[in-house]
Amino acid sequence: MIELQNVTKRYPGNREALTHLNLTIEQGEMAFLTGPSGAGKSTLLKLIAAIERPTRGQVFINRKNITRIPKRKVPALRRHMGVVFQDHHLLHDRNVFDNVSLPLQIAGFAQVDINRRVRAALDKVALLDKEQMMPITLSGGEQQRVGIARAVVHKPAILLADEPTGNLDPELSAEIMRLFNDFNQVGVTVLIASHDLDLIERMSKRIIRLRAGECIDSQSPLDAQNFEIHN
Amino acid sequence: MVKARHQQPLARPSFKTRFRAYVRDHVRVLLFSLGKLYRTPFATTFTLLMIAVALALPACLYVLLNNLQTVTHKWDDVGQISLFLQTDTSEPALKQLKATITKHEQVENVNYISADLALSEFKNRSEFSDLLEGLPINPLPPTLVVTPINSAKQSDTLNKLKKEFQSLANVEQVQLDMQWLQRLQAITDIIRRAITAIGIMLGLSVLLVVGNSIRLDIENRRAEIEVTKLIGATDRFIRRPFLYGGMWFGLLGGILALLLVFIVLLVIRQPAQDLVGLYNSDFKLMLPSFIQSISLIGSSIFLGLFGSWLAVGHRIAKIQPS
Ligand SMILES: Nc1ncnc2c1ncn2[C@@H]1O[C@H](COP(=O)(O)OP(=O)(O)OP(=O)(O)O)[C@@H](O)[C@H]1O
Ligand SMILES: [Mg+2]
Repeated sequence: MIELQNVTKRYPGNREALTHLNLTIEQGEMAFLTGPSGAGKSTLLKLIAAIERPTRGQVFINRKNITRIPKRKVPALRRHMGVVFQDHHLLHDRNVFDNVSLPLQIAGFAQVDINRRVRAALDKVALLDKEQMMPITLSGGEQQRVGIARAVVHKPAILLADEPTGNLDPELSAEIMRLFNDFNQVGVTVLIASHDLDLIERMSKRIIRLRAGECIDSQSPLDAQNFEIHN
Repeated sequence: MVKARHQQPLARPSFKTRFRAYVRDHVRVLLFSLGKLYRTPFATTFTLLMIAVALALPACLYVLLNNLQTVTHKWDDVGQISLFLQTDTSEPALKQLKATITKHEQVENVNYISADLALSEFKNRSEFSDLLEGLPINPLPPTLVVTPINSAKQSDTLNKLKKEFQSLANVEQVQLDMQWLQRLQAITDIIRRAITAIGIMLGLSVLLVVGNSIRLDIENRRAEIEVTKLIGATDRFIRRPFLYGGMWFGLLGGILALLLVFIVLLVIRQPAQDLVGLYNSDFKLMLPSFIQSISLIGSSIFLGLFGSWLAVGHRIAKIQPS
């Protein structure tokens, strides 16, 4: 589903943020991306969402080479993805319903489908009763769930999340991770960047460890269990 | 582990559905961008007033100029044509001639001044009356004084009329008093050009005012634009509310400008009528016509749209999520 071949990313005037990185994430897989600050986690996600272009190497999404994708094709690519940010990036001039419906509006769905899909997504994140509220009046955890609802409302094949639990307490974080797991259960490919090692080890999913732009370890769930036993 | 039932990917909406959604989005954005103006009442009022004043000034001047022209055209002796007839013109031929000219569609009225009348008027006004007294015959010709209709009081038309009259039987000579008319035309021409220049400059300032507030709006919404791009919005989708915002500025500013024009004209109406009434009794200050009002609002909408289009330019394409 997602494939990076020998990818190097260098920001102008900086050392390499990613160095000769090879990585494959299968369709329907769920994986965590971890590593110290500055390791290149966000950069990796940005390459997948075509926010940044690789300096060298190739990026494939669903077997399509997006390394040099022209600007006008980027919107269509992003409609196949859902992106969740640490600071949820909600639009504060419209209510929860309108925030969540945005991807469907953009893609031109009929109003009945929009209503149905938005309610389903809000139901999934347990915010159905808050659809008329303005984002500013919600708690941090609720805002993050609205962001997640917006990321999944159009049933994307890929769900990317950069530090989705960064500002949340452990209990809320675990709840958010369970949500991601649920989406993965219905076939969505999920890739989450996170610092929270305790939490992601408990999820027993693949963990990709980056350090200084290189992949130093990529454990499958089985290895992860061994890792726990050895320690 | 057996995976639970997989979600079906959402089918891409049909063309018809997408077209309907497109229209719906336009309506939604139309209302949304109006609401946006409503939510920033101070900035909106300020911008609208700037637009309204910039448009009302040239519009007022233009309406006043139009009024001036109708006033001057009503002065009867402006653009009169004198037809000097042959002295031996018979009575029936004269009647015939007068009738022909009166029927002409560009003629308002015809006044006959007989040779005798002309002579006595001349005597009254002239210091040479004694000299004339000694003349054996009346040297003055009988004259027809033709007053053209107001719309014909332009040098081209008058010259054409002159030629026509010249070819008529019994007409010795045709004289056109164009000096006044030419002066008036030159003056109104200068004023018209000045108003056009002022209008263009103030129109430019409307472009700048609208462009600037749209530019600020874009800067304030940079984060929002980045997010919508990440969700897969096209530049066109993102541009839309800003263009509609400019359209609203133009529409509302234009309506306000029209209101100002009416207020100014109604305020000066009575004194202006009093003043002009000293010269011409039946003067009524004309307010902008329906067509003129619509064109004022129309050009305001155009300026608003164009200003926002200029401000949006490549600015939205340049904003990329990071
Ligand atoms: N826009 C940019 N311009 C220049 N350098 C950048 C840019 N974004 C990231 N970098 C650099 O690239 C490297 C990797 O950054 P990245 O944001 O991918 O790290 P990260 O693993 O997400 O870190 P964190 O855990 O702190 O979010 C860092 O050294 C950073 O300074
Ligand atoms: Mg990061």
